[in-house]
Amino acid sequence: MDKKAGVKPTKLRAMVKHGSVSKIKGDAGDQNDTENEILMRGRNLMIPEDQLELPEKELSEELARVLTTVNHQIPKNLVEFSFRERSFIPSPITPHDVMLLQYVGTALHKESPEALLQLEAEYIEGAEHGPSDAGKAEKKEGEEEGEGEDDEIEGDADGDAEGDGEAEVDADGVDDEDGEEKIETKEDKKGPPQRGGKAKKLTNQFNFCERATLTYNNPFRDQGAQTTPPPQATFCDYINQWIVYDAYQEDYENQQNMKEKEKREKMTTAQPKKEEGTGRKRLDKHSVDPTTYRMFQAAKILERMINQNTYDEIAQDYRYWEDPSDEFREAEGTLLPLWKFSYEKTKKLNVTEICWNPQFYDLFGVTFGSFDFNKQVNEGYLCLFTMKNPSYPEYINSMDSGMMCLDFHPVHPYLVVVGLYDGTVAVFNVQLLTKERQYESDSVSNKHGGIVWQVCWGKDLTDGEMHFYSVSSDGKVYNWVLMQNELAQTLVITLYLDMEQIPGPDGTMVKITGCGTAIAFHPKEPLIFLVGTEEGNIYKCSTAYASIYLFTYEAHHMPVHRIDFNKFAPEIFISCSSDWRVKIWEDGRSDPLFMFDLGCSVGDVKWAPYSSTVFAAVTVDGKCHVFDLNINKYKAVCVQSIVSKKRNKLTRLSFNHKLPIIMLGDNKGSITTVKLSPNLRIKPKPPKKQQIIDERTLEIMKLEKLLALVREPQKITAPVDEESTTS
Amino acid sequence: MAELGDAKKEEESKKIVHTYPLVRKCDMQDEMKSEAMELCVTACEKHAANNEAAARMIKEMMDKKFGPSWHAVVGEGFGFEISYECKSLLYMFFGGNVAICIWKCS
Repeated sequence: MDKKAGVKPTKLRAMVKHGSVSKIKGDAGDQNDTENEILMRGRNLMIPEDQLELPEKELSEELARVLTTVNHQIPKNLVEFSFRERSFIPSPITPHDVMLLQYVGTALHKESPEALLQLEAEYIEGAEHGPSDAGKAEKKEGEEEGEGEDDEIEGDADGDAEGDGEAEVDADGVDDEDGEEKIETKEDKKGPPQRGGKAKKLTNQFNFCERATLTYNNPFRDQGAQTTPPPQATFCDYINQWIVYDAYQEDYENQQNMKEKEKREKMTTAQPKKEEGTGRKRLDKHSVDPTTYRMFQAAKILERMINQNTYDEIAQDYRYWEDPSDEFREAEGTLLPLWKFSYEKTKKLNVTEICWNPQFYDLFGVTFGSFDFNKQVNEGYLCLFTMKNPSYPEYINSMDSGMMCLDFHPVHPYLVVVGLYDGTVAVFNVQLLTKERQYESDSVSNKHGGIVWQVCWGKDLTDGEMHFYSVSSDGKVYNWVLMQNELAQTLVITLYLDMEQIPGPDGTMVKITGCGTAIAFHPKEPLIFLVGTEEGNIYKCSTAYASIYLFTYEAHHMPVHRIDFNKFAPEIFISCSSDWRVKIWEDGRSDPLFMFDLGCSVGDVKWAPYSSTVFAAVTVDGKCHVFDLNINKYKAVCVQSIVSKKRNKLTRLSFNHKLPIIMLGDNKGSITTVKLSPNLRIKPKPPKKQQIIDERTLEIMKLEKLLALVREPQKITAPVDEESTTS
Repeated sequence: MAELGDAKKEEESKKIVHTYPLVRKCDMQDEMKSEAMELCVTACEKHAANNEAAARMIKEMMDKKFGPSWHAVVGEGFGFEISYECKSLLYMFFGGNVAICIWKCS
């Protein structure tokens, strides 16, 4: 339908061209009308306003239309007047079809002239060597031309019409002409393609060949890196119930051990653990060279064995020899010299204090310093000796100033407090392998302003802290508490003298203080203590009162060197002084009970631990005096020169608390051990009526009996005093 | 007889004591170790009667916390030979009868 409508204008133009317009026009108008009607019918739904109202009859009338490819309206009898021939000649029949668009494709029909041309060209190129053949072929083609002409034209025209239905209409005329020309050319060059087997086979979808070249591929390269895998290890084990059990047992045991050790450590180092470092160092020492340590132990045992062999006789005497002559002597005893202890480095120093260890009866500590103001030393030593090895100290420690005194802690016997000439106090733990001080008073903020003459452990405080007291020339008594990592200092008392104030510089008034030289704590009452001074007074003080003296004894005229409480009767104490005298006092009595003049400065005096009436004193002339008041109230039971009178002076002494031996220290740094003969340690016999009284009560009874004699009639003491002085 | 009884009693009392985790071998970092131990203890306490569940829990939790490929063995008696990534082995006893071995190996 559309095609027909499309075709019409061309026809019109063609008519115009040919000059017979009017007739065709009218025809065409009719046709248009009918066509519109048909169109309307097809589109009932959209009824235009100006639609014709047709009667039913007309509407139902069927109008047949047949579509053909032949245009019936084309006049078949068109003629043209030829002026040349002077007659009408029929014009050629106009075709039924119209060329709308011609598009030349690249594909050629095999039998099309172009294809033939191409083939021919190829042929000529390919067959230069055989031209004769080509000539022949041309001839043949020429013959064949005539036959195929008509068919060809028709076929072409048909194909064109079919192919170009949708194309533009404008170019029609031209196209027609082109088409004719084409046809002509086709006709001209029809021949060549037929070449039979000689021609090259054309490719089609069933018959073709492909050619391709493969270029070189770029070579591929793999590059990679591998990291090192995480380190691995293998582990194997075998588990059983009993293995688990054993492991737990072992661990538990270890834990227990650790706990115990910790407890022990706490005991030893909780208070004296000054710094973490100390403990670690100690551990290090233990752990770093245990072999050395063990070697050291072995060497020590060997040394002791050798010493035992060397001093075998002395050892025997020490244990078993009793002076047989005592039986024949009344009221007299002897001292048997045993070992002599000394240390190479302290040969020039004075023995300033001897103190037995409260736990091991064969171990004692000695401090070395100097009593001489003019010959002070810049090194003081603390040595621990054992009677098992007289040749070398068990423990040596030194400080920069002369050591003047020491004391073992009564409960923790490894803790030693020492007082120094420069006023410092220090605490050592002799258990440790290090020489480090566990505690030391600060030389700037807290220390004594004078020589520390005596130190003395106090009973542990209620919260378990250890503390000690010290007395010094600066007239002060300090209490030192061993805190976690420092010494806490408190002033207990300042020893002011009972004197008028003295005008000091710039018009100030200065209170004179006494110089403390000795201190002794009451064995029963922990608050009460006695302080001896350089002025000769002994003050009874209490730690509770810092300002007043409970009692003042005008005891001596020269420095008091020692105060010692009786081991059995705590109200009785003894004192000695440089004024040659030894005095025995009773608490609260301003006059001494006994007084003895020893003829020269008395360095030390001590009550014997085994008897209530025995005491010993040492004098600077190298003599040791032993008294037993029960035997002789006026004279020493034994006076014996221990060291040479001219060169040596005895300075200190100490009773062993278990065995009948005394240690005597001299000013040449040696300590002499002497054994008391049986007469010097006579035990009191129990009265016949009461056989079962313990020794302590017996001793107290003995002393009481003795004191009863001197107490009541005050006058009696005076003659005793006189007598002893003169003797 | 009395003595024997006493000994038994003592043993029993000791057994009761030994329920704490006891590390036999461990090369983990401290932080990891404590966490792993805690995890093992929790798992074994939670699945006291089911070692498999405990092991599963330990493995899964360890995977979650410290990255994959952990292995866990929980049992009262076994032998093993393993290769493990260093710093990732924990071999401990717990509860007095259970051994736990966890390690990482991917």
